[in-house]
Amino acid sequence: MSKLGQVVEAVDKYNTFVEAEVRRARTDKKFGQQMVNRWKEIKAKIPVGRAPTGLPLPRLALPEIDEAGEITRYLLGDGLPGEFPFLNGAYREMYLEPMQTSAIETASLEKNSHGKKSKMGGSKNGAQPPQAEEPTRLFSGLMLAEDTNERFHFLGAHQRSKRLSTAFDGPTLYGIDSDADGVFGKIGEGGVAVDTVEDMVRLYDGFDLGSPDFSASMTISGPAPIIMAMYIAAAKRRFGSGIVPKLRGTIQADIFKEVQAQNETIFPVEASLRFLTDMMEFTTREMPRWYPVSISGYHIGEAGSTPVQQAAYTLSNGFAYAEMMAARGIPVDEFGPRLSFFLDCGLDVEYIALTRVSRRIWAIGMRDAFGAGHKAQMFKVHTQTSGRSLVAAEFKNNLTRTAAELMLSYMNGTNSCHSNSADEPFTTPSEEWIRLAAHGQAILLDESGIFKHTMNMLSGSPGMKAVERAVEAAILEEFREIERLGGVMGAVENRYQRSQIQAAAHRYEQQIYDGTRPIIALNKYRNERETMPEFELARTPRAKQQLQVDRLRKFKQKNAVKAEKALEKLAAVVETDENSFPALLEAAEVCSLGQISNRLQEVVGRFRPMV
Amino acid sequence: MAAPVRILTAVPICDGHDSAINTINLEFIRHGIEVVYLGYHRYAQDIVRAAIQEDVRAIGISSYNGGHVEFFVEVVKQLRKRGADDIAVFGGGGGTITHDDQRVMQRRGVDKIFFAGTSLSEMVAFVHQRYGKAHPHNGRNGAPADMQLARKLTRIEDSYAKGKRPRRAAVKKSANTRVVGFTGPGGAGKTTLIDELVLRLLQRDAKSRIAILSHDPSVVGAGALLGDRATMINSQHDRVFMRSMATRGQAGGLSPATEDCLQLLAQSGFDYVIIETVGTGQEAMPFQSKLVDQTVLVMNPDYGARLQLQKIVMLDLADIVVVNKSDQERARTAMSEIERRLEQNHREQRLISTVAKRHRDEGVDKLCDLLTQPRAALKKGRVK
Repeated sequence: MSKLGQVVEAVDKYNTFVEAEVRRARTDKKFGQQMVNRWKEIKAKIPVGRAPTGLPLPRLALPEIDEAGEITRYLLGDGLPGEFPFLNGAYREMYLEPMQTSAIETASLEKNSHGKKSKMGGSKNGAQPPQAEEPTRLFSGLMLAEDTNERFHFLGAHQRSKRLSTAFDGPTLYGIDSDADGVFGKIGEGGVAVDTVEDMVRLYDGFDLGSPDFSASMTISGPAPIIMAMYIAAAKRRFGSGIVPKLRGTIQADIFKEVQAQNETIFPVEASLRFLTDMMEFTTREMPRWYPVSISGYHIGEAGSTPVQQAAYTLSNGFAYAEMMAARGIPVDEFGPRLSFFLDCGLDVEYIALTRVSRRIWAIGMRDAFGAGHKAQMFKVHTQTSGRSLVAAEFKNNLTRTAAELMLSYMNGTNSCHSNSADEPFTTPSEEWIRLAAHGQAILLDESGIFKHTMNMLSGSPGMKAVERAVEAAILEEFREIERLGGVMGAVENRYQRSQIQAAAHRYEQQIYDGTRPIIALNKYRNERETMPEFELARTPRAKQQLQVDRLRKFKQKNAVKAEKALEKLAAVVETDENSFPALLEAAEVCSLGQISNRLQEVVGRFRPMV
Repeated sequence: MAAPVRILTAVPICDGHDSAINTINLEFIRHGIEVVYLGYHRYAQDIVRAAIQEDVRAIGISSYNGGHVEFFVEVVKQLRKRGADDIAVFGGGGGTITHDDQRVMQRRGVDKIFFAGTSLSEMVAFVHQRYGKAHPHNGRNGAPADMQLARKLTRIEDSYAKGKRPRRAAVKKSANTRVVGFTGPGGAGKTTLIDELVLRLLQRDAKSRIAILSHDPSVVGAGALLGDRATMINSQHDRVFMRSMATRGQAGGLSPATEDCLQLLAQSGFDYVIIETVGTGQEAMPFQSKLVDQTVLVMNPDYGARLQLQKIVMLDLADIVVVNKSDQERARTAMSEIERRLEQNHREQRLISTVAKRHRDEGVDKLCDLLTQPRAALKKGRVK
């Protein structure tokens, strides 16, 4: 049995355990009374806040139950927010406004947000997010490094904490240099062009990479270890080697989902996984604040999977990474807290509870199949609203779609969130629509009272429970199928996940064409007179593309001798069983992305696409 | 009956968005269109080379990652440069291609852009209407050899489709051409194995030229998804001529036109001609052609009980039996069971175990050695 089989067993066992405890609470008077007393205690400790209208509300909403069995089912089966199995949230308080905030305190927070946060309401037992940052994190990347840098400063101007999220252009995602034949038109399109450590320096210029308020997210997987090495090299150039342990952020690096859905893989799967675990081993030991892999369902969802497939493949991929790390002898409580997730949120009904259920399965699997402690049980997740759900026809409707998805994301207790711009079906989002997308989040979290007064708004409601149970059962069924195929790796080789996703995508398209899946203004309430809006599109001018090529050539010329030496050393290390990441770090100082990926491909081969 | 329309579809370089094209491909093949699918992240030059060799009527490009104006136009330009301007270029990219872009692209030779909201049936109808007419097949005078060969192959295929059997010329195999036939059950990894072999053949002799004749089944609706090129990363090469054929209703893993096409390739000066059948069953004996010098049966270790081996006819006939995917647990058992099965035949047959997906696999090296041995060794009985 693979680890995934053990996870399925653990969840089944846990569910049986909960039901047994429910019966015990009903039959064993003493135990039942204990549970009732605990419930009363919890309720008594809940602070009460006030809405701006003066209405008093508890900061934590709990179901109105007083029977020992029901109480037991809630506490053990769902858990309070911040408690195992974390169905209701990874932390005790999320999105809530501080209890007593005077104008003066607010002003001081603006200036020096870090370190003051422990004063902001909440319990003292550390069940709060470590840093009460805004959960907004907007994805951005365009043209050359300096252009994206300017966009980062524009976005960050609205926020006290700097949470940058970086999109790379096509050549970078495929580990190809900007001066390679046949990619010229792709430079800086759909993301930023990064070829060298110098680009990396330009990209985050003006940001204090070691600050506790700064975090960088990089959305790249195929060549992720190389890009990670460049990020570290750039940070060292700017701040010296002392910076390394302070670096905070995440890199996507999720090879499994690339092979299953997104198709940005450049090395054979086994080799990719080896480079990834080499990197993860390094960051786990040397960069305690870094999340070295963002286990992503987003692209699985965007490729057309059902919500259940998305959660099932993402979670199983996560367990597979955990298994690989454990196999290297790294303790689960060291690497476990450094695993984080990234999910898609669309408009299908499953999304009402998809993240909630995922959190529960992860917690039980990590605790009972991997022996993980509290921190490594927590499923921490970034959510993005669904790009696929947005359509070009009467595109302003996309604001409503995104708003509904944002609502669902926060109802699920996401740790951070990206809201898509309404103009996404056409282009890299423009500033006007990005602003509206960011405001959407602020309206939901700051302006509306939906999330800021009470945690747990819908927890335990019959509809929510119904969706949770159906979704959990369906995810476990997917796990069993993957297990039958020999675990995640076996299923990947059988193209199982790919075929399932493709079939779901095909069904989705057909439902749109035959009208059984209404898409407003596309197949229902269509406006025949509508013409496509003309946008000012974010295209990279040829002169800029040429500039990138010229800079890269200069870099290669300057470093020609050193680069060859570094590449030879890297190739030699890769031939052995040693960890390749330190050699990669050296190479990243003097080699371009394409030079490194080409040399690695000579040693380990190229990825053979699956169709 | 008219021959099915043949088109090629692909996703541009640095673009992995294949969700739309997968759906469109399926719709095409259900409506009588043969689609040579090249896959995602493909260079313009690979697309153009493939389109010419496959002699398709049109190239459909699905682009979602920007840079489409340059990319589409580059494909048109390279087609023209190689004298293949009668291959049309069409495509789409959801909302990423604007009307302004479309105007520029069409002015520079792109035939048609589909916008978001186009129904699948509109696209199918367009392809039939616009590219359904018979091809003149007149490669220009002095057209590149690839194109002339490709168009001759189309003529052969088309006359079979019309029920006419073209007159066969006498078999005149080029003296130095080695013809190797690959067959085996679906999922055994034939395509990957051939592609790895091609890599070695290209590396061992910097001048060698290789032809590949690969087969995929025609589906209900008479179209076919010819997808081998998508996974054959090493075979997209100027020294490789590859042709994908649909079985067009014939059982046994090959097409009615295969023998004639094989004859043509065998006398066209290639060093190696490789034929790959579709995934075959127990009774298939696809290679009855005298042109085939060596036959290779590729097996999966997971064939079931030992008794199953007794039923596989190709085990009696193949010159070389390859157990691929031999990193699987069952591989050792499979090797010894097959070895005993081959002993019953009392003739020289070779058994090799490979892991074709592994970079630089030694088993594939051995197979390559066997296939590159001098011809003299072949004639004297069988290869030892």
